[in-house]
Amino acid sequence: MEKIKETGRGWQSGMAKNITFIVTKDCQLACKYCYLVGKNSKERMPWEVAKQAIDYILDHESEMREESVIWDFIGGEPFLEIDLIDRICDYLKTEMFRRNHHWFNSYRFSFSTNGINYHTDKVQRFIQKNHDHLSIGITIDGTERKHDLNRIYKGDGRGSYADVVRNIPLWLEQFPHGGTKVTISSEDLPYIKESVLHLYGLGIHEVNINCVFEDVWKPGDDALFEEQLMQLADAIIDGGYYRDYACSFFSEHLGKPLDCVTQNQNWCGAGKMLAVDAEGNFYPCTRFAQYSLREKKAWIIGNIRDGIDKNKLRPFLLLDRCTQSPQQCIDCEVAEGCAWCQGENYDAADTPTIYQRATAICRMHKARVRANNYYWNKLFRKLELEDAREACEENHPKPNPLNC
Amino acid sequence: MIQYLVILLDDTSVSFCHYGNAKKERRLMPLETLKAGILFGMKENLNIQFVYPAYALPEAYDAVIEGIDHVKIMPAATPEGADVLVMNGWKECESWTAGAGVSCVLRLPKAEWFGQAGRVAALLEKTERLNVVLTDVETFTEDDFKAYERSLAEVANLLEKAYMNGKTPQLNLLTDRMMLEQMNNCGAGDTNITLAPDGKFYVCPAFYQAAGGYAIGSLAEGLEIKNAQLYRLDHAPLCRHCDAYQCRRCIWLNRKATLEVNTPGHEQCVAAHLERNASRQLLLAIRKHGTFLPDKREIREIDYLDPFDVRKEW
Repeated sequence: MEKIKETGRGWQSGMAKNITFIVTKDCQLACKYCYLVGKNSKERMPWEVAKQAIDYILDHESEMREESVIWDFIGGEPFLEIDLIDRICDYLKTEMFRRNHHWFNSYRFSFSTNGINYHTDKVQRFIQKNHDHLSIGITIDGTERKHDLNRIYKGDGRGSYADVVRNIPLWLEQFPHGGTKVTISSEDLPYIKESVLHLYGLGIHEVNINCVFEDVWKPGDDALFEEQLMQLADAIIDGGYYRDYACSFFSEHLGKPLDCVTQNQNWCGAGKMLAVDAEGNFYPCTRFAQYSLREKKAWIIGNIRDGIDKNKLRPFLLLDRCTQSPQQCIDCEVAEGCAWCQGENYDAADTPTIYQRATAICRMHKARVRANNYYWNKLFRKLELEDAREACEENHPKPNPLNC
Repeated sequence: MIQYLVILLDDTSVSFCHYGNAKKERRLMPLETLKAGILFGMKENLNIQFVYPAYALPEAYDAVIEGIDHVKIMPAATPEGADVLVMNGWKECESWTAGAGVSCVLRLPKAEWFGQAGRVAALLEKTERLNVVLTDVETFTEDDFKAYERSLAEVANLLEKAYMNGKTPQLNLLTDRMMLEQMNNCGAGDTNITLAPDGKFYVCPAFYQAAGGYAIGSLAEGLEIKNAQLYRLDHAPLCRHCDAYQCRRCIWLNRKATLEVNTPGHEQCVAAHLERNASRQLLLAIRKHGTFLPDKREIREIDYLDPFDVRKEW
């Protein structure tokens, strides 16, 4: 039976509260597309702040009724603070058990790392200790030249590919279903096809890709993007990769018009998530912390001492697609699957609001839709000719929930 | 669509709404700015409302102001010629005598309202319309909500008696909702804008006179309301579903509480719903005595005070 590999949905997707510790604003790298404009080596989360944040969160169990929790650690590069993270995780486990909290036995520790420190003793000890509750994604952007185009060391500016790729086998051994997240900026466009195939070649079966939401796109980028995706489609179909590998660019649920009544959900989970920084301030998502914002003030919803100001969360929890969208998006005939980042919307807005949707990726989305249509038309025809279409329909891929 | 232009004649022009005026230094609008503002209003076909400071203006200003149809909003200290008189606290009400057709705004903090709300009865003897504005509604606690509910019931009882005696006083907190069948809110940035002494336009006086505001254009460069849709009801995700039609839906309070101009905070919502529910009881009580507002629908009973809590039912 012919099968098509589905892109993975996150653990307990839609049922888990995502709580992020911004443990450090430091990173070994200075990626050119990084949205973190305020990275620095000074703001590291003190243990006392982490503990107080945990106590506040667990004390307010009745206000966080999600079935599960994802304790997310972000930087900068989170593994630079592995000692702190280990202590936080030990305390979380102890406290969730001691309090008989409903999240005990339904939790994950999640990391998105640049992979450079993955092999170190401290990180490996942490992985051994917590393996069954870990989700770790290593960011590798594709081929060496593509990766090193953006993911460079701060200071000397040399590429980081070699230091990351050496840790991929160990990572895949420990997390065979590990997926990677690839970010596409204007300069990366010529390398999309080779990069995805390269990642497949490294043994990574799930490649989640998105174009940056920032306004970096130049005239002609959409045509280049479309061409790369069509070449990738040919390679995936002709090479049979669709059976065992997934790439989030291609989804059946993409490119249809959307109704403002029945399909009016917000795309982004900001506001349902919670982030805390080294100062002990709470945010609706890490993208609303000051180090993530170019133009706007941080959107602080409270702190570990005074708690969460629920009024500051109301606008997030009331967001819907059409209220924040310009008419061109409401009327768009290929609106389905067009994503947005609430933080980038806020940062790019003409006034300090989260209710003005940024449209910088409009032409890139439309290019993706055209290539996506090509992919599915070609794949389905191939499967029909091979009398495998029915099996394919039964196993058709789900939309990838990759948001940011 | 903009219909009203509020012109602040001075930095110390009286506040007639929720915000407190943080500006204490006099800064009279230059006469040329005033003339240009009036001209703007005439060309845009706007109704002009002048907001006065607590001192007499130079005569030249009076002549310019009288050159256009307008409304005067004046502080209690200088009430001569007011169409709308603003009083801060009960003390300023004591010596007040309204002229015919003068509306009154009573601004006071919750501490002055709770336990003394019945004093509005005396004011309603002197004016046909009284707007009560609580200046610290955003600080309401659960205990304050209970106290507010009690105070509204007390005043509703007084109003019922007045209506039975053939009088028809208007008190924004309780009688507006009885008459309304759609939202009738402050309209800042949507139906009205403000011109300040600096020659710039603002969403409302609070965006100039209180901290943290921003301009939306100027006389010199024109009006430019960015994200203008967010001041409209159809882009207010909570309010467009709400039937507390009398709510001020104060844009400035929205921004202060939630950081968004289109989203009210919990306190504003609950206070408005306590008023709505008290209006419902008042309407039912008056109708027990005979036909009253026969063309108006009943206000339905609801089981929530903050529409945010029932948002998933929409």
